[in-house]
Amino acid sequence: MGRSYNTIAFDAAKCDGCGDCMTACATVKTGSTDKSRSRIQIVGDESDGFELALCRQCGDPKCVTVCPAAALTKNFDSGVIEWNASKCVDCLLCTVGCAYAGIALDEGVGHVAKCDMCYASPDGAPACVPACPHDALTYITTSRIYNEVGDWEDLFAPGLAGCQGCNTELLMRHTLRRVGPETVLATPPGCVPGMGSVGFNGTTGTKVPVFHPLLTNTAAMLAGIKRQYKRVGREVNALAIAGDGGASDVGFQSLSGAAERNEQILFMVVDNEGYMNTGMQRSSCTPYGAWTSTTPIGKGSGGMPSQGKTQDAKNLPLIMVNHRCEYVATASTAYMQDLYDKLDKAIQASKRGFAYLHVYSPCTTGWRFPTDQNMEVARKAVETNFVMLWEYNPKDGLEFTRPVDDPLPVTEYLKAMGRFRHLSPDQISHIQGKVVENLAFVKQMAHRQSA
Amino acid sequence: MTTATLATPNQAKPAKQKVILCEGNEAAALGVALARPDMVAVYPITPQSSLVEHVAKLIADGRMDADIVDAEGEHSVLSVLQGAALAGARTYTATCGPGLAFMFEPYFRTSGMRLPIVMSIVTRDGITPQSVWGGHQDAMTVREVGWVQVYCETVQEVLDTTIMAFKIAEHHDVMLPVNVCLDGNYLSYGTSRVELPDQAEVDAFMGVKDVNWHVALDPLRPMAVDPLTGGSGGKGPSTFVRYRKGQCRGMQNSLRVIEEVHEEWAQRFGRRFAPLVEEYRMDGADYAIMTLGSMTGAAKDAIDEARDAGKRVGLIKIKTFSPFPVEALLKSLAKVQALGVVDRSVGFRWNCGPMYQETMGVLYRLGRHVPSMSFIGGLAGADITVGHFHRVIEATEKLPSSPAPSEPVWLNEKD
Repeated sequence: MGRSYNTIAFDAAKCDGCGDCMTACATVKTGSTDKSRSRIQIVGDESDGFELALCRQCGDPKCVTVCPAAALTKNFDSGVIEWNASKCVDCLLCTVGCAYAGIALDEGVGHVAKCDMCYASPDGAPACVPACPHDALTYITTSRIYNEVGDWEDLFAPGLAGCQGCNTELLMRHTLRRVGPETVLATPPGCVPGMGSVGFNGTTGTKVPVFHPLLTNTAAMLAGIKRQYKRVGREVNALAIAGDGGASDVGFQSLSGAAERNEQILFMVVDNEGYMNTGMQRSSCTPYGAWTSTTPIGKGSGGMPSQGKTQDAKNLPLIMVNHRCEYVATASTAYMQDLYDKLDKAIQASKRGFAYLHVYSPCTTGWRFPTDQNMEVARKAVETNFVMLWEYNPKDGLEFTRPVDDPLPVTEYLKAMGRFRHLSPDQISHIQGKVVENLAFVKQMAHRQSA
Repeated sequence: MTTATLATPNQAKPAKQKVILCEGNEAAALGVALARPDMVAVYPITPQSSLVEHVAKLIADGRMDADIVDAEGEHSVLSVLQGAALAGARTYTATCGPGLAFMFEPYFRTSGMRLPIVMSIVTRDGITPQSVWGGHQDAMTVREVGWVQVYCETVQEVLDTTIMAFKIAEHHDVMLPVNVCLDGNYLSYGTSRVELPDQAEVDAFMGVKDVNWHVALDPLRPMAVDPLTGGSGGKGPSTFVRYRKGQCRGMQNSLRVIEEVHEEWAQRFGRRFAPLVEEYRMDGADYAIMTLGSMTGAAKDAIDEARDAGKRVGLIKIKTFSPFPVEALLKSLAKVQALGVVDRSVGFRWNCGPMYQETMGVLYRLGRHVPSMSFIGGLAGADITVGHFHRVIEATEKLPSSPAPSEPVWLNEKD
């Protein structure tokens, strides 16, 4: 596979045009504070909004193509398009070829100049990003995941049959290629085997040993497998990729039992907040107010309309913390770097005892949002503190891995999907209240356990 | 005595065997230890508890090299063993009554996955009415689930059959889970003289363990275990039928294998038990009574007394209840003109004992009418005494000349 590179991302909504990034760039690159000499340029105004003029370090760069002197080349190690002064003939054709105004004449020196991501700097990170006082610029480093694991074998077969826009397939492929081939995989009834991971009538979607446990006994079956391999001296990973229903409801007893016995299992729950594979029924992880096919919307009787689920979600990961597992963490498919860090820790922890990873996974079909909005919904859940990303181990206690100190109102999350469309103002304020309460609760826990 | 009346005389040289005194639950545990399972999963329940306590102590004392999982319930007990078996382990557990009921979901699946797990059922009556005492209701309730089920009569037979069960289960022509049923209270706590086989002799008898050659969860030979099948399209229907037919074939094969394994046991250890159906004093018998499990001891005493009194009555005992030994039973039933069947459990659908219900199907194959009747006794720990069996014998004797009752006779109704 090819390589992926880090990049500078720009959030126009957060930019107020202050120009601090330009000052930082000019200072580092030219020694002057003249913003016009910065390789990053913020253009536009407050009424029309600000835009970014910056080299995108294109994979198929037009500037390189149009240069008659071969002065521009793509460095495939760093990803940066490099300019060679000794070859440049100052024709400026490159400035015409670039659609992003990413390369321009630096009148101070009489040559073109462009961003090189400061890749040669001591910390290898761009100077403009930390200079932004509004977090409008971020340095995206998730290319590491791609470069590290991109060549590892995908242990699921092509063509799994998830719903369009579902990111569980992404999660499964990333997880299994990370855990590796020396693995026995349990996928209890639900979306994961529903995609064909175990298979149908003689075909299978998985390249490692895989099976359907019962919905109820995933952790127990894995415990037996793991213990037998330990007994005969073989290192085999026991991995579950389970749904929230099977884990929090009918499968909870075996999950809790295995955690109490500290079985050496990595148990991943893909929480789409209901029994989505069987037609979107309520589970105990379904949030308050949500429409499901068994908590439908109706006029009710006795003046009491039916307005979705009437109870709050069970917080399964916190319950697992109270089993004092070797490792417990929540994660989101919108934050792959965070997820990967936790996956690595969970794998290591599962060699000592029970490791539990709870991944929030929006369901396009069951939550009723457009199929291209999955990452956005997942991100909004975190940005509103509707879900919180943290990790726990018995030594360090519970710690937030991605604290959101300035959360968006929960309505930003709720309005992104149809399952909350019917909510009354009272219901919304109940949910917002629970977000605040849950945050306070987890913060207390984080404080107490790490103290 | 049981062994004396069997057709084949004992020709074996008895191996050196230690003699001990123990209860049935301990005998089962000692049998398990001798069979050398890799993994045992346990959850206590009356009247099984002392069995798993004995197993745990044997492991704790280093007399048994097995991993023990104290699971949080019977459902997980069997699930742990399924996983272990799929990874190549020889596995064992024991349960009864409500525990068996709770275990039902993985229980059904064990036979479908052809996992040769051995499980004792220390039989207990079904609740409710609430009770903690013996009866066959638990094992009878799951008789249609594809497990081999054998019932023991004595404490010695419990020990010997527990070891034999592993060999039967793991036979390549069988590959099915086996229940060794021992009567709660009467066998579980009944203490008796037991001959303990020598470990080396048992090792030689057991042969090489090979439990997951047919289905495995092993990265060295990756496969999808139990993918979805069935439905109305593609290869689904034929695939499902192939699996089910295979289970049925394994069940039928087990009848032969149970006989072979009992024969080998007799040759090696000098103790001979009827593998499928035992006939007791059936020579010249005009009519017979049928029994199951520990009640048979009292029944044999009653038969002896009846024979002494000139009655032409014999006894047919079932050891292998699942699969039902139709051909073997046909041969025994061919000798009689009337039959009384004593059950220690209830068949609610037919208003008779379950064994009686099964036997009626065999009687139909006989091609002639044999009047028969159902007796139900020993429920929830009640004793079936020699006196009760005399009532059974008398009622059965009258059958050819009087109409059979449409209701079962409840032996302990007026106790």
